[in-house]
Amino acid sequence: MRRPAKTCPVCESGVRVLDYKDDRTLGRFLTERGKILPSRLSGMCARHQRQLATAIKRARQLALIPYIKSGSSA
Amino acid sequence: MTRRYETVYIFDSALEEPAITETLERLHALLTKDGKGSVSSTNHWGKRSLAFPIKKKDTGYYVVAQFEAAGELLPEYERAVKLDESVLRYLVVLNEGEPAKPMPTTPVVAPDDLELEEEEA
Repeated sequence: MRRPAKTCPVCESGVRVLDYKDDRTLGRFLTERGKILPSRLSGMCARHQRQLATAIKRARQLALIPYIKSGSSA
Repeated sequence: MTRRYETVYIFDSALEEPAITETLERLHALLTKDGKGSVSSTNHWGKRSLAFPIKKKDTGYYVVAQFEAAGELLPEYERAVKLDESVLRYLVVLNEGEPAKPMPTTPVVAPDDLELEEEEA
């Protein structure tokens, strides 16, 4: 049994380069603990998944998104 | 050869805006000397809360600057940024050729009641 192929949400929105300063968009691709969502779950194409990883890591350095989200707060 | 870069600074939010502008001018002077570079835009996001404390501070004043400069100017510039006590953190990256985007509208802490108000956890 094969699942129907998911389409990349970033390609669909027409964005070519993910911006590390856009913490709202990046937040959609984090787990509730603040981990990077795997492409298996996000349905991202390989190119955008790589861009996403870099963008999230940069955003973390700039304290735009947390490294770890604690369970109770936020 | 010049390349396009982008720097995000996080300043101490206790600083006044003129002091920040002055620091920025001083730092950017290092990039533009001898006509080897130019700063194309500086975008002040203003105060916003940090996702985690940096140097025991919960808020920072964000400034994004786009510039074009010869690579050999960067080490001296970065050294100056590192030495500056008012910069909590900075990030220099190559600008990938995307046009500058408008600032994201994320929770910005009101400048006035910063000092007095306690963060509700």
